[in-house]
Amino acid sequence: MRAARRGWPAALLLAGCALQGAWASSPPRVLVVAQDLDDIVSLDPAEGFELSSMQAFTSLYQRLVQPDPEQPARLLPVLASSWQAGPGSLVFQLRPGASFASGNPVTADDVIYSLSRAVRLNRSPAFILNELGWNAGTVDQHLIRLDEHRVRVTWSTPVGPTFALNVLSATVASIVDRREVEAHARGADAGNRWLHDHSAGSGPFRIRRYIPHEALVLDANPGSPGDAPRLQTIVIRSVPDAATRELLVRVGDADIARDLGPDQLAALRGRPGLVFRQFPSAAIHYLLFNTASRDQPALANPALWQAARWLIDYQGLAHQLLQDQYLVHQGFLAAGFPGALDDTPYHLDIPRARAILHAAGLDHGLTLTLDVFNQAPFLEIAQSLQSTFGAAGIHLVLHPALTGEVYSRVRSHAEQAVWLYWIPDYSDAHSTASAFALNREDGSTSIAGRAGWHIPALSAQTLAAVREADPGRRLADYRRIQAEVQRSSPYVIALQERRELVLRSNVRGYRQGLNADMVYYDQVSK
Amino acid sequence: MSAASRHGPWRVSIALLRPLATMAVTLAALLCVTFALSSLSPVDPALKRVGDHASRAAYDQARHDLGLDLPWPRRLERYAIGVAHGDLGTSLSTGQPVARDLRRVFPATVELATLAMLLATFTGLVLAVASAARPGGVLDSLVRLLSLAGNSLPVFWLGLLGLYLFYARLQWLGGPGRLSDAYEYTIDMPTGLVLVDAWRSGLPGAFGSAASHMVLPVLLLAGYAVGNVARLTRAALLAESRKEYVLLARATGAGEARVLLYHMLPNTVGVVLTVLALTYANLLQGAVLVETVFARPGVGRYLTTALFAADTPAILGSTLLIGACFVVINGITDALVHLLDPRGA
Repeated sequence: MRAARRGWPAALLLAGCALQGAWASSPPRVLVVAQDLDDIVSLDPAEGFELSSMQAFTSLYQRLVQPDPEQPARLLPVLASSWQAGPGSLVFQLRPGASFASGNPVTADDVIYSLSRAVRLNRSPAFILNELGWNAGTVDQHLIRLDEHRVRVTWSTPVGPTFALNVLSATVASIVDRREVEAHARGADAGNRWLHDHSAGSGPFRIRRYIPHEALVLDANPGSPGDAPRLQTIVIRSVPDAATRELLVRVGDADIARDLGPDQLAALRGRPGLVFRQFPSAAIHYLLFNTASRDQPALANPALWQAARWLIDYQGLAHQLLQDQYLVHQGFLAAGFPGALDDTPYHLDIPRARAILHAAGLDHGLTLTLDVFNQAPFLEIAQSLQSTFGAAGIHLVLHPALTGEVYSRVRSHAEQAVWLYWIPDYSDAHSTASAFALNREDGSTSIAGRAGWHIPALSAQTLAAVREADPGRRLADYRRIQAEVQRSSPYVIALQERRELVLRSNVRGYRQGLNADMVYYDQVSK
Repeated sequence: MSAASRHGPWRVSIALLRPLATMAVTLAALLCVTFALSSLSPVDPALKRVGDHASRAAYDQARHDLGLDLPWPRRLERYAIGVAHGDLGTSLSTGQPVARDLRRVFPATVELATLAMLLATFTGLVLAVASAARPGGVLDSLVRLLSLAGNSLPVFWLGLLGLYLFYARLQWLGGPGRLSDAYEYTIDMPTGLVLVDAWRSGLPGAFGSAASHMVLPVLLLAGYAVGNVARLTRAALLAESRKEYVLLARATGAGEARVLLYHMLPNTVGVVLTVLALTYANLLQGAVLVETVFARPGVGRYLTTALFAADTPAILGSTLLIGACFVVINGITDALVHLLDPRGA
């Protein structure tokens, strides 16, 4: 009797177990991914510009050309079967027989509608297409239908066809099903509201259901041009807490867990049934000084920037603090892109930094405010900087804030120093070079502009590089520009991310590339 | 006041009408205060919409679209007119109408909070009566310890611990989410109440899966609430125990159980109802950590995500909803206290 009394809580829980039924494995033919989807604003490719929506676009939509998963600088034909480059123009031949998930064929009208729609909607990623000189008033004259399956694309800015192709490989240039979208348009919204949570593409999957902050459920689109997807359904569950994601993949209720912290990864290492895979990411982390700050004139002194290059514990950050989730990288083009600088001339050298500060008269106790996102790993990085800068007599006052608040402060030039990261918008080097080494002095929002770095000569070199037609000379230009930025800019480029995923060992065929959108579920099997 | 007005339809009407007037005034004040606070937020909603890389023209266009280029009284007026027409605006984070978002997440919160409240009410009252029967006894000390633990141990930590033990380690209970993957996102959720919808789906195992996923979050929330209910009810009972009518009841030879349950407990109804109402209202808006750890939808999580994203329409919409819940629950409680107070009968 006593034993029976003691056992009742366990019996109650066991009854719960019996209620639950099958345990600890995701359903067959369904891939369950645990990640945080809270960042998604829209799943319309003309609007979505967040990490999670970009990752989904590659499964839902196709572009005329897309980066090779293995070599992002190499573009592969996808909805185009071929193209012909002319001066200031490209003629695309569409892939014969290609159709959307609705069954509608992919035609030149769809291409023109999609690109024109993205420019006219003018949402976050539209600026990428604006690089070709397209705006709401001019875009139609740059997109010409030659016949049902051929379209001519022209541009008005002085750039080469390689650059134009790269722009057209961005997710904002995804081709949508014109008839499907127009059928769901309300007023002048060009179907934007409907595409927030539906899809109208030709990618290997289509949206079955999107529940904001809960899940994105994709069903296979067997008619997608290219190989048919191997799994029937992808369930991307929004699990905001990393420790909960760890438990899901540990138990087997998730097949893939993204964005686990060093603690969660350490807890899972060595457990049977799990595989760890590291994918390099194009995300570059850097420290930026606002040289136009009115509160702290020392920020305009290049000696401070120079000293700062010797005041970051690059190796300690990458290997100890961040447990190899980052690698030391000091050029603005991420390793993996052609033209990336792989030398790392700077290391932690406090005496050297002190000497530079002393020579510049900045050794009398300098206090700077450092804005930083109030989340891991940014706070940890900021604390490391506080320690090493402190050793050289620079007192860093940390100002942790929400991501949105940090960006608002940077945009209004209210910050003194800030730790940020950068992800290229498209595969061409100009995407990043125009951010770090181009200040048009017209109030535009490049990183150089935000730092108040006045660089007419370097800006001219950056503009010349994008016009350069010879690929070899172009890469040499970018190496030279990077070296200049590395040597003399008011920012210190320090780290490149590596994204580590935990997969159940029965998951095969998952691929991920350098750029944010390069996430591929089509060849996954389990 | 005549006896007739104290006990007649007047009393009921006043009890019902007063909360309605209070609700209107409170919600209007809440709207103004929340709007003012949102305007002071250091996060720029336009930047959230267009992203960090957007051009100046796109940024200015977004400010115009969001009405941020208007003076704030005009914005408040525009918003209030929308609310009066049932339009809470469109969320910047989800791209959906806020009213639609709230219709989706609110039932999940109500379901979780109500189950937790029922469990906490029953357990809390039993513990309070048991500990008030022998103040200072072993059971009383245990109940006080339990109340303290319920209020002090972080829900976030307890949630992860519970998941680790009962879900990951022992595999006795369901884990994060509302259903296992075999059912989640496949069954229709017309009511938004997962237990009801899983039952109605008729799928074998769906209800069991929903119930199993419900156990840990309900226990955690109830654990937090039971402390409040037990502690404050016990204090009310002890306060009653020092009154003369209790002495008189004992003098007439009534047993301790009878004195507690039939004499003292009905006189604490006002305190108990108030505690239950406040606790329930807190559970409705304060389940954010449980919702986050267990990856469940809910108003608390919706509001928190909106706050991080400077999503003003979502912040205002969910604040109004939570405010309305507080006012309705308080109104109902006031009316019940009036009706059930034995001294007024």
